[in-house]
Amino acid sequence: MDWDRRTFVKFAVGAVIGIHASPLIPKFMDDTAIWTQNWNWVPVPEDGAVAYAHTVNPHTGTGAKAKLIDGRVEGLRAIRVEGNPNHPLSQGGVLPADASALQLLYNSEIRVTKPLLRNRSTGVMTQLSWPQALDLVAGNLANLAKNGQAHMAAALGADPSSTTGQILMRLMQALGSPNVAFTPTPRETMALAGLFMMGQPFLGFDLANANYIVSFGTPLLDGFGAPVAVRKAFAGWRGYPKNQARLVQIEPRASVTASQADQWLACKPGSEGLVALAMCRIMIDEGVYDRAIESAYGWNDADGLPGFKSYLLKNLDRAKTASLAGISLPKLVKMTLAFAKADRAVAVCGPGNSGDPGRLYDFMSVLALNALKGNLGKPGGVVAQQPLPLKSLGGALPEAKPPALAMAGRPFGVNNVHELAQAALAGKPYGLKTLILCGGNFVFNGPQANVMHDLARKTPFVVAITPYMDESAGMADLVLPSTHWLEGWGDSTTPFGSAVSCYGLHRPLVKSVDEAKDGGDILLALAQRLGGPVAAALPFKNLGEAMAKRTQAMGDFKKLAEASYWAQKRPAYGAMRFNTPSGRLELSSRVLRNLLSKGGRDADKTARALGVKAGAQTAFLPHWEEPAAYAEGAAYPLVMQAVPSLRTTWGDEAVTPYMVKILPDTVLANTDKLVVEMHPATAQQLHLQEGDAVLVESSAGSLTAKLTLYAGAAPGMVFVPLGLGHKDFGFQVAGKGMNFNRAVKVTSDPMSGMPIWELTGVSVKKVRG
Amino acid sequence: MATHQQGKKQRSRADWLLLVVGLILGSAFGFWITPTILYAEKPQPLQFNHKLHVEQVDKGCKSCHQFRDDGSFSGIPGLATCKSCHSGDEPLGNTPAEKEFMKYLKANKPIPWHVYSRQPDCVFFSHAAHAENAGLECTKCHGQHGKTEKLRPYEYNRLTGYSRDIWGRGPIGLAGPPDRMKMDDCAKCHRENGVNQACFVCHK
Repeated sequence: MDWDRRTFVKFAVGAVIGIHASPLIPKFMDDTAIWTQNWNWVPVPEDGAVAYAHTVNPHTGTGAKAKLIDGRVEGLRAIRVEGNPNHPLSQGGVLPADASALQLLYNSEIRVTKPLLRNRSTGVMTQLSWPQALDLVAGNLANLAKNGQAHMAAALGADPSSTTGQILMRLMQALGSPNVAFTPTPRETMALAGLFMMGQPFLGFDLANANYIVSFGTPLLDGFGAPVAVRKAFAGWRGYPKNQARLVQIEPRASVTASQADQWLACKPGSEGLVALAMCRIMIDEGVYDRAIESAYGWNDADGLPGFKSYLLKNLDRAKTASLAGISLPKLVKMTLAFAKADRAVAVCGPGNSGDPGRLYDFMSVLALNALKGNLGKPGGVVAQQPLPLKSLGGALPEAKPPALAMAGRPFGVNNVHELAQAALAGKPYGLKTLILCGGNFVFNGPQANVMHDLARKTPFVVAITPYMDESAGMADLVLPSTHWLEGWGDSTTPFGSAVSCYGLHRPLVKSVDEAKDGGDILLALAQRLGGPVAAALPFKNLGEAMAKRTQAMGDFKKLAEASYWAQKRPAYGAMRFNTPSGRLELSSRVLRNLLSKGGRDADKTARALGVKAGAQTAFLPHWEEPAAYAEGAAYPLVMQAVPSLRTTWGDEAVTPYMVKILPDTVLANTDKLVVEMHPATAQQLHLQEGDAVLVESSAGSLTAKLTLYAGAAPGMVFVPLGLGHKDFGFQVAGKGMNFNRAVKVTSDPMSGMPIWELTGVSVKKVRG
Repeated sequence: MATHQQGKKQRSRADWLLLVVGLILGSAFGFWITPTILYAEKPQPLQFNHKLHVEQVDKGCKSCHQFRDDGSFSGIPGLATCKSCHSGDEPLGNTPAEKEFMKYLKANKPIPWHVYSRQPDCVFFSHAAHAENAGLECTKCHGQHGKTEKLRPYEYNRLTGYSRDIWGRGPIGLAGPPDRMKMDDCAKCHRENGVNQACFVCHK
C-alpha cells in the first residue's frame, strides 16, 4: 500500500464521511437555526416577581397600570403599560402613546442621564456633577437678580396646573421675573369663555350621556381632552343593536372623526363658530329653543348695547351665513331642528385640528348654542366641573415690577408663549439673558417652532430640564436630566372637556436612570441655592412633599399615590350657578365689558387693539371674527391645517418608535417623506399631481413633502400630519417626515390674546423630490 | 498499448483500509471538536454547597426555591431569601465562598448566578404545573443537583448562548432528563402521560 493520490482520496472521503457521522454538522445547523431565533428583536425581561402599580400618564391623562418585574439581578423593571379599569375617564383603555411609553423610558440613545454642559462653539457636551450644575444655574439667576435684571430670566413649562408648573411659577415670581409661560391649551380658552358668560372657569361636556352631538371642528376621536374617555363615549354612542346617539362633525376635511360621524358637514376653514351662530339663528327663527334663555343678561338689548337675539336677527342672515360657511342651508336647518328636538343634545368646541387652544368667540358661540338648547347642567349637556380641592403651595407673592414680555398692556393676562418669545427676540421692551425650558420641548412643539428655535439660539444662557435629548436639549447650554413619568413624582389635572374633574398622580415605580431627578426637585434645589425670598417661597424638601401639601384635602397621601387619581364622583347635574355680575347667564359679557373699560379706558379702542374687528358693539357677544389666515394675500393663497392623530402625537411627548411603525403610507411614505393632502381640483389648478414633491411655504416657515390627492380635503387647502419631523429622539423617530410647527404662523386670538395657529396661509409649489 | 499497461499499477485491496481509517479519524475529530469549539466555560461568581444547605433546612429544595404568592416560581433565590438565615454581619461558617458571599450581602448586590437549566426565551415553562400539580420530583429534570458540594463551571453554547445542560452533556445529545432538557424530552413525557403536546402549550 503506497501513499499516493488515490489512497489520499480514499482517506479524505473516509474522513468526510466520518465527520458527517459525528454531531459536528447537524449540531452546528441546529444551533445556527436557534441562533437566528435569538436575533434581538423581542426584548425578554428577566424573570422575577410580577407586580402591578396604578399610575397616570401626565401627558395623556390616561389612568394606567404598569406591569413591573422584580428581577433578581436587574431589580424592578417596568415591562408593560396597561389601562387601569378603575380610572373614571380612561376606564381601562390606553393610547398608543401610553402603550409604547416604555420605548422612551428605556431608550438609552435618547435619555439624558447626567447634567451636561454644552460648548456653543464646538457643540461638545461635558458632564457636570449635580452641585456644579445647580450652582451654575443658581449663580446665573442670582447674578441677574443682584443687577436688577431678574425679569431678563424667563421660564417655559409644560403644564401650569401641575405641581411642577406651580413650583416653576413661584420660583420665577419670587425671583422677580414675570416671564413664565406654558404650553397653551384649550382649557384656558374654555376657562375664559366660561368666566365671561357664566362665571364658571371649569366647564365640561357630558359626552357619555349625550345622544346628539355636534362637534365644531374639534378632533373628537383624534385628540380631544382625555382621548380614551371620548373613545369610550363614542363606543357607547354606537350601541347595539342600533346607534344610541347621532354624531355630527363640522369641519373642512373628511377626518377620522368626520368619517365615523353620522353626518359630516364640510365647512370652509375657520367657519365652525359661524355655523354655531347660524344654528342659534335657526333655532330662534323656528322658535325651537329653551325659553329660559330669555331671562339671560344680554338676550335682549341692555345698557345701550345690542343683545344676542337682536344681533343675530340683524347681522346673521341664515342663507348668507350658510353660503359663507360653505354649507347647504337645507341640510343645516334639518340638522339644527334635529339637534333642538333631541332630548340630550350637546354642541362641542375644543382644540383645533392643528392642536391650538381654540378661538374664544367660537367657544362663546358654542356655549350660547348649548344655552339655547337648554342643556346647561343637564345629563348629556354642558356641566360645571367641581373645582379640584388643591391647596396653594404658599401665600401670594409680590408681583414682579417690570412688565411681562407677553401680553403687555392687555386688560387681562393669559399665557402666550409665542408673544413672549417674539417680544424677547425683538428686545421690546427688553431681551432675555437666561431661558429655562422645563419640559414641553418648545423648540420642536413651538407653537411656531422656528421662533422658539431662534429664542433658544439667541438667549445667552439656556437651561433645559428634560428626560430626553430632545430638540430643546440640543439647543441648551446646560441640560439637566429629569425623570420619566414612570420613574418620578408628578401630577396632572382635569383634561379638557371632561364632565368630571379628575386629578392624576404618578410616583416612582422604577429606579430612575443614572442621575435623573424629578423636574420639581431640580427647581426646589435651585430655590434652596438661591436662598432668601426664593427659598422661603418654596420650603419643600422635594416634589413629593409639595404634592402632599397640595393634595391635603384629597385624604391620605400614601393612599392617594397608590390609587393614582382623585375624581369627582359624578357630573354636577342641576341648575348651573352663574357667578357673573348679574347672577345670570350673560350672553353679553359684563365681566368682559368691565375689563375693557377698567380704569376709564375706551372699550371700543381697547377691543380693536385686542384684534376684535367688530369693535365694542359686539365685542362682548358671541360672534364670528374672520381668521387671520384669510388675509395673508395672494402670495399665500392656500390655507394649511394639520391632521392630528393619536398615532403621531399626543401632548408634548414625542412620537414613539411603535407609533412611527403603525403609520400608513398616507402619512409617511417613500423613505420617510411626509405626505400632505390636497383636493384634486386644487392640485389641478396648481398643475400638481399625485406623488409630486412639494414645498409648503408660509410667511413664517416652510416644509417639504410628498403630495397626495384626497377628495375628502377641502378645496383651497393643504393638510399636513402633525407631530412628525423630529431631528433628535433616536434613529427610529428622527428624520421621519417634517415638523408641521416649522411652517405655521402663530397669531393672537382676538380678545383672548391666546396664541392660535389652526390655519396658516401658505403657497404650495412643486420642487425636485 | 504495451507502455500503457506497464504504467497501470496493481492496487492493493488494503487501500480501502485508508477509507475506514479516515472515517474513524474524521468521526473522532467531529466528536472531539464539536463540544470543544461550540461550548465555552464561565465560572460561577462564587461557590455554593447545596448539600450543606439542604441539610440545614426542613423543606428541601422548596425552602429556598419557592413559589411566589401568585403561583409563579422564584427560580434562583434572591438575596432576601439568603438573608432569612444569613441575617447578621458575620458569616455563619468559615469557608472562603461564604466570605465572598458576605461581600454581596453587605453591598446588597444581587449575585449574578449562571443558571444551568435556563430554557430558551421562546419556551414557556411552569414549575407550578409540573412540580405542584403533576407532582414531579425536582430530580426528574435537575438530577442530583441538590446533593452537590460544589458548583461546576457553567458551560454555554457560543452560538446560541444557551446552557449546555439543555442539549445535554452526551456527545450526540440523545440522553434524557436529567442529562438534557430538550423539547423532545418535554414531548416524550407529555406523550407518556397523556398531556397535550400542541405547540402553544409551551410556545406561547
